[in-house]
Amino acid sequence: MQQGEETSEVVLEARGLVKDYARARAVDGVDLLVHTGERVALLGPNGAGKTTTLLMVLGVISPDEGWVEISGRRLARDRSRAAEEIGFAAGYLPLAERLRVREYLKLYGQLYGLRDPRPEITAGLERFGIPHLGDAMGTELSSGQRTLVGIVRATLHHPRLLVLDEPTASLDPDVALRVRTGLRELSDDEGTALLVTSHDMAEVERLCDRVVFVAAGRIVANGSPKDVAATYGRGDLESVFLHLAAERPAARPHAVPAPDPDRGA
Amino acid sequence: MVADTLGTSWLRIRAIAHRHAYVLVRSPHRLFDVTLWPLVDVLLFGSIATFVNSGQATTGAKAASYLLAGIVLWHVVYQSQIAVSTGFLEETWSRNLLNLMVTPIREWEYVAGVALFGMLKLAIGIGVMVIGALLFFSFDASTLGFGIVPIAAVLLLVGWSISLFVIGIVLRWGSGAEALAWGVMFVVMPLSGIFYPVSALPAFLQPVALALPTTHAFAALRTLVDGGGLDWTQLGIATVSALILAALSVWFLVRMLSLFRRRGYATRYS
Repeated sequence: MQQGEETSEVVLEARGLVKDYARARAVDGVDLLVHTGERVALLGPNGAGKTTTLLMVLGVISPDEGWVEISGRRLARDRSRAAEEIGFAAGYLPLAERLRVREYLKLYGQLYGLRDPRPEITAGLERFGIPHLGDAMGTELSSGQRTLVGIVRATLHHPRLLVLDEPTASLDPDVALRVRTGLRELSDDEGTALLVTSHDMAEVERLCDRVVFVAAGRIVANGSPKDVAATYGRGDLESVFLHLAAERPAARPHAVPAPDPDRGA
Repeated sequence: MVADTLGTSWLRIRAIAHRHAYVLVRSPHRLFDVTLWPLVDVLLFGSIATFVNSGQATTGAKAASYLLAGIVLWHVVYQSQIAVSTGFLEETWSRNLLNLMVTPIREWEYVAGVALFGMLKLAIGIGVMVIGALLFFSFDASTLGFGIVPIAAVLLLVGWSISLFVIGIVLRWGSGAEALAWGVMFVVMPLSGIFYPVSALPAFLQPVALALPTTHAFAALRTLVDGGGLDWTQLGIATVSALILAALSVWFLVRMLSLFRRRGYATRYS
């Protein structure tokens, strides 16, 4: 339990999530608890089960075992209502073609039930420093700009939980900083909880107040970045990441073992 | 060296051929391109020829009316099906499916939205055809009267139902199955007796044709063209069978969507 969790409201509760694919168990008994305003990173090597976990939290993949609740709404029973409380953005998702940015954002604002999403669109574009892109075609944008528009789309409806899959992957440091600043503001101003995956450990340390490490589909560490680093006797999250990735090389066929610099491997 | 260059080229050519052989063998629906469609064409045009030869189309004008009324109403089925199917496929082509699936939109809302826009496209398409038939062949569709409205409504329902089957198949088997969006209609077309009565079809296919709601809808249309008014029996059979088809298509889509979520196929589009 993190400090303050006892009193703040639970926005995401997932218990005993299990997901099997044809050749391997992707997620093996994951429990997640995220509270209002918390900024949580879900970390782990490629193939650890992070994205599958996120997609189960989003209701896109149904778990073989376990359940997910968003603000007390069971996803399996009430997906549409639960989805109203979530926003999702990923660096790899494209914008819809043949639409201008404002048209695209209006479409999604309406899908989230906003009758007139124009004020939210203007505020969102301002928050992430891209008000000049409102009339641009989606195809005219750089990958960084597309990511920013994707995050604006995901926050239009003031979600209580914002799920971000590698939001700053392939962004330059300036745009990545803008993303982090905007997300921190959003979390502080509106109490939006963040659940983020990233392979940039320095970014995670700057943005998140709790990290959950996943390896071979299981949670192997859960705590503040400092506490987790201290538990493993490492100086930072990157060293913990490399240590955990190297610890279970045979657990999954697609887990890539990484050398442990501290052990001189 | 020439020999080496030719040898290397042959190697690459064989490798490419082999690669596509894998695709064909592992995607059985692609076999339709090389087996079913040629057969369908033979069936369609052979049946038209049989009908004309049989003398049932007593005058050239009547045959032309059957053909024109048939093709106009066929487009109700075709365009409504294509509009919904391609509306969904567009999301897969632009990798937008995941963006949509995380929103609160319900499945029926999505289908209804696509179908709504599809009706606009349908209205434009049918309007163009009706005007074209009037201008080029002096065929005035309005002479068929209001009886054409319930027939068109049944055909619209059939088009949407087929599109739900297509979407379900694409959800289950991936975008490789999208050729069905267009192809399935060319199977339904000759079997539905749009331009000729079912008796013009080969005998072994007639029971299949009679099981289709479109067959009865077009039979009702031909009675209308003949000036016999609305054939309530044929329209009733068409309506009931279209409702059964619609229920089956919804059931199939719900099953495929559940499978899509269970097996994590969404990652194909991310």
